[in-house]
Amino acid sequence: MNTTYLALEVKRFVRDRVTLFFVAILPAFFYLIFGVAQDFGSQSAGNGNVALYIMVSMAAYGAVTATTGVGGAAAIERMQGWGRQLGLTPLRDTGYVAVKATLAVLVAAVPVSVIAVLGVLTGAEGTARAWLLSLLAVLAGAWVFALFGLVVGLAFRTEGAVNAIGGIVVVLGFLGNIFIPLSGTLLDVARFTPLYGYVALVRYPITEGVLPDNAGGTAATDPLWLPLVNLGAWALVLGLVATWLVRRGRGRQ
Amino acid sequence: MSTNATPAPTPAPTPASGAAIELVGLEKTFRTRDGDVHAVRGVDLTIDTGEVVAVLGPNGAGKTTTLDMVLGLTEPTGGTARVFGRRPREAVTAGRVAAVLQTGGLLRDLTVAETVRLVASTYPRSVVGAGDVDAVLERAGIAHLGGRLVSKCSGGEQQRLRFALALIPDPDLLVLDEPTAGMDVTARREFWDAMHAEAATGRTVVFATHYLTEADTFADRIVVIGAGRVLADGTTDEIRARVAGRSVSVDAPADAAVRDRLVTAASALPGVHDVQVSGGRLHVSAPDSDAVARALLVDLAATGLEVVAGSLDDAFASLTQPENQPEEGPR
Repeated sequence: MNTTYLALEVKRFVRDRVTLFFVAILPAFFYLIFGVAQDFGSQSAGNGNVALYIMVSMAAYGAVTATTGVGGAAAIERMQGWGRQLGLTPLRDTGYVAVKATLAVLVAAVPVSVIAVLGVLTGAEGTARAWLLSLLAVLAGAWVFALFGLVVGLAFRTEGAVNAIGGIVVVLGFLGNIFIPLSGTLLDVARFTPLYGYVALVRYPITEGVLPDNAGGTAATDPLWLPLVNLGAWALVLGLVATWLVRRGRGRQ
Repeated sequence: MSTNATPAPTPAPTPASGAAIELVGLEKTFRTRDGDVHAVRGVDLTIDTGEVVAVLGPNGAGKTTTLDMVLGLTEPTGGTARVFGRRPREAVTAGRVAAVLQTGGLLRDLTVAETVRLVASTYPRSVVGAGDVDAVLERAGIAHLGGRLVSKCSGGEQQRLRFALALIPDPDLLVLDEPTAGMDVTARREFWDAMHAEAATGRTVVFATHYLTEADTFADRIVVIGAGRVLADGTTDEIRARVAGRSVSVDAPADAAVRDRLVTAASALPGVHDVQVSGGRLHVSAPDSDAVARALLVDLAATGLEVVAGSLDDAFASLTQPENQPEEGPR
């Protein structure tokens, strides 16, 4: 791992105050609205209360926003010729990916930490195991969405496409069952979308797969293999597409 | 530049035997939606160590694609490229070749010194010693800009940063793709001053340009590329004689048979490389216009003689026109 490059990447991220603000603050703001400000926050959601359930959901959303941003920025860089400049150095593609993947996890840790601290302060409760495993799943799965940002950026080759990623993530967030509970046909379709598996995995230590409906009852129950297969399949697909797009883009732009 | 005041920061590159660049039957075809584009159509070229070579050609001639294959950025679809006898990518990894690319390629939110540090960190310690950042900035003439963000640098300053990045591995071969594009006159002169200092240490330098004067003042040898092929290859004097000659024109005889005889005779004169009939005039291009004028008037009884100095750019344009098919060097 090239630590000089990684340190400079962290420096660039900190320098970009506007992005830093949105990455760090917006998901925390969502948590305060959807989680803390609701009176059902203290109800049970399995191995924790509803506030914890919403807390890890918003942490996952924040992590995805952060990592898609890292991936999209990497795509813009490559389009603007930085890939050619790096092509003139001994740095291999694997070394570049290692730096960017580590950066993505570090950047994702920013909103996750802010939300976790807010959660502790505002009444999110659960077993130690539920806290630990859920937050670990948030960080461990986040890098997949750096690939998502990279693929969107490299495929459409415009800054506009990269700017649109934030909106795409919101749509995928709804399909991922993050903001409002889904049911029926929409839920059946949603199970194939990329954020569904990630968020279901993050919630599993708390809910053990139980999906709430709007009335406070149970809509369905997902076995553990479902989110694992969903996330694994999307990681594989996005990884293959990203590799192909990077190879295609190495020549002259 | 203060290169004269300070001792050379690094010893001259060790002279290696053999060719710095060896291209054999090099071809590159791009697949596009509109069909195949043959950017490079069989380039054979050998550049020896220590040479300073200009690759000259209009936009779209295949210069950048050819240099991309020399640098291992693009794989050829035919033929081979060797740099110091190795595959291009190996030569890059070993730090023996470095380049200044035409556009882009910098991160706007890093400072100049940080950019140098980043690129230096990709090389093994054996290639780049620690603490070379200042030395490299100094040699590129931007020591005073180390703390400035790349986004705050002018085009010329960014280009010199790219030059600094190319100097990091102390390469034996420097490839420059239109290095002064977008620079003003002063920046251009300063850039070439810095390049002269580098070339003086025995480095092999290959640069692409479409400014004939840059090729003329800086290179020992000019390779003219057009439509993906080598159109001419020779010393600057040879190429200049060929492309910068004068045009002698006389009245074209009205009788077709007489005119054809005159064309044939004029074409056979020593040094003549082009004879054309247009607008009732017969135009003869040759480096030695006096000899041609004398022969036309005295031996061939031509009338209405005019001698016009061809502009460098006009002559060069005629050389790289598609209908001017490849010939092996100047006659």
